[in-house]
Amino acid sequence: MSTYNVSRRGLLAGARAIGAAAALSGCATATTAGGSTQQGGAVTLQSDLSSPLAEKAMQSLVAAYSKQSKYSVKLNTVAATTYQPLLPTYLTSANPPDIYTWYAGNDADHYASRGLLLDVSDTWKTMGNYQSALKTLSTDAAGKQIFVPTDYYWWGVFYRKSQFAKWGLSEPKTWSDFLNVCATIKAKGATPIGLGAGTGTAWVAAAWFDYLNIRLNGADFHRALLQGQQSFTDSKVVDVFNTWKQALPYFDPNGTAVSWQEASNQLIQGQCGMLLTGTFFADAVPSGSLDDLDFFKFPVIDPSVPDAEEAPTDGLFASSKTHNAAAVLDFMTWMATPAAQNLWTQTSSGTVIPANPQATAPSTALVQKGKAMLADAAQLTQFFNRDSTDALQNTANTALIDFIQNPGRLSSILTTWQSQAEQVWKTA
Amino acid sequence: MTVAPTEARPGTAALRAAVRPRRPRKGGPVRPSPLIIGFVLVPLLVEAVSVFWPAIQGFYISLTHWNGVNPPTFAGFDNYRRMFGDPVFHKALENTALWLVLFGGLSAAGGLGCAMFLQRERRGIAIYRAAMFLPVVFSLTATALMWQTLYQPNGMVNGLLSGIGLGGWQHAWLANSSTALYAQIVPALWREIGYVMVLYLAGLKGIDPALYEAAKVDGASAWQQFRHVTLPQLRSVNAVVVSVIIIDSLRSFDVVWSLTQGGPYNSSQLLSTYMYQTAFVNTDFGYGCALAVAIFVLAFGVIVSYLIRAFKESD
Repeated sequence: MSTYNVSRRGLLAGARAIGAAAALSGCATATTAGGSTQQGGAVTLQSDLSSPLAEKAMQSLVAAYSKQSKYSVKLNTVAATTYQPLLPTYLTSANPPDIYTWYAGNDADHYASRGLLLDVSDTWKTMGNYQSALKTLSTDAAGKQIFVPTDYYWWGVFYRKSQFAKWGLSEPKTWSDFLNVCATIKAKGATPIGLGAGTGTAWVAAAWFDYLNIRLNGADFHRALLQGQQSFTDSKVVDVFNTWKQALPYFDPNGTAVSWQEASNQLIQGQCGMLLTGTFFADAVPSGSLDDLDFFKFPVIDPSVPDAEEAPTDGLFASSKTHNAAAVLDFMTWMATPAAQNLWTQTSSGTVIPANPQATAPSTALVQKGKAMLADAAQLTQFFNRDSTDALQNTANTALIDFIQNPGRLSSILTTWQSQAEQVWKTA
Repeated sequence: MTVAPTEARPGTAALRAAVRPRRPRKGGPVRPSPLIIGFVLVPLLVEAVSVFWPAIQGFYISLTHWNGVNPPTFAGFDNYRRMFGDPVFHKALENTALWLVLFGGLSAAGGLGCAMFLQRERRGIAIYRAAMFLPVVFSLTATALMWQTLYQPNGMVNGLLSGIGLGGWQHAWLANSSTALYAQIVPALWREIGYVMVLYLAGLKGIDPALYEAAKVDGASAWQQFRHVTLPQLRSVNAVVVSVIIIDSLRSFDVVWSLTQGGPYNSSQLLSTYMYQTAFVNTDFGYGCALAVAIFVLAFGVIVSYLIRAFKESD
């Protein structure tokens, strides 16, 4: 036995060393920056585009970039559900990944105000042709650009042209037209409005809240509400729900039990007449059915309120702690070019609009119509979670599903929503 | 039948002499060899770095307000005070208690029942045992996906109900706040019963058949044999089963997270799902860690009090 000679002193010394290392690595809450100033090497692109189609598109983008640049980029794809909770950890770690795919708007501002994001104003100097709305969206409170948009998409009320023709319907422009359309579809024996806010996709219900609020109270009130400057118990918010109640009898009674994927299937199969959705649903639609699909702008409720539309914008930001800012800026500048964005729209599903106006948007009638609608809008909003936070989105899911199932409990639902929202704002 | 008293066994003295320990070396107590120290210290270190240290950190974070981006601010027991006024926490606590009772009780009873039923060696019995145990092997997330399909508004459960003329009982099982929790206990049970069955099968195999013979000779009925022979003999297995069940019900997370994420409107929220949602979706790490500490205290408290009681009884 004693032939195995491990000296006790050596063992204890080793133990102490490991213990010290553990202590030195600091507590999990440490947020200070450290790290060396190494230069060169590949920069890391952290991507949450984990669906097979999107991941492949990203891979070909990175390959195309590396072919024409002296810098190299390493793509690191993380499952979308894991990415969101880890993002703060990435950004606050001592040696963070360099570039990130993420959303424009409030969420990016949140990190920028903590000094975690790289100033990309230099990249914006090459982006003079971008819409000013996109530049405003990419600018933080201190006035510098921290985000490079690559593409955006739109939301609308989608329907099947052949079904509408069969029912003798045309696109409604106003809320009362819309309710008439609903009544007609119901009389023909179909479900007028699909929802798809079942398990895991409860967030789609927030599209209804967003649009009703935008149409009734305007985009400015909507944003202020989502950022805690207004209360969910406000009579203006009560109006939103009372208007919603007029359409509620036309909703799919199983709308809170099925996912949006199933809801879009119902639309394709003609079981439901209309679906308020973002264009992402088209990824799952058989290409033959896509030609029969059309959409209309969410109906106008109060003509005195300027039209705003949801146009969630995706793109890139970078960590302020990057060791290779030159490479990061070079990659982001390249991603802002029409060439890169064309590659992206061609390889991905083909229902997104490239952010660079000189890039060629997919030429389908659907995309052209969507692009025109957004160009006409007085203001653009992002979406509930992008204009606020994911934590507030959770409170919305709770409140909205409760309302759809129990519209009679509105006032207590709103009181609970407000108190949960206050907790979220306190933590943020 | 009786067991011969050990004292009467021949050769005991010789046996004792043979196993008598060697005389200790001169110079006091035995120094453990470095190898043994290594075997103790290395796992202790691994445990300390990978378990104790994070646990202590978790407790520290529970005393702060921290959203993962800003530096944490010390908050004392704020997060614990918040639990008292938090209706979602109350609901989650209530659901967890309900889950513990229903899931725990039914899986213990079901597992024991299946074990009793499948304990006798008959031809082909292994197939049934394997079938009962099979759900344990499946990944719970895959299991949940399968049940989600069954529970769909136009899924098999509702189809079956309307097929047998109970169309009025149809529900959107997972979307209805009054059925969601119970609908999720079923898949969890479906899995746990097979596991508990295996534990009890092992326990039943360990019971001396002579005890049953003696009971039969004394004229005990099947129920009396179960009550006075089987149950007391399973006591040590029970301690394991109860601990396993309590731990499993308090960490029942995967089923609920994949089926409803605690919804609709928090009606099926468990402490574990609420903790996950608070910490990793809402990135409110302070309150999330406080919830984790609460779960730990509950699990630890319940198990320790049960074990103390169980060991007192057996003394």
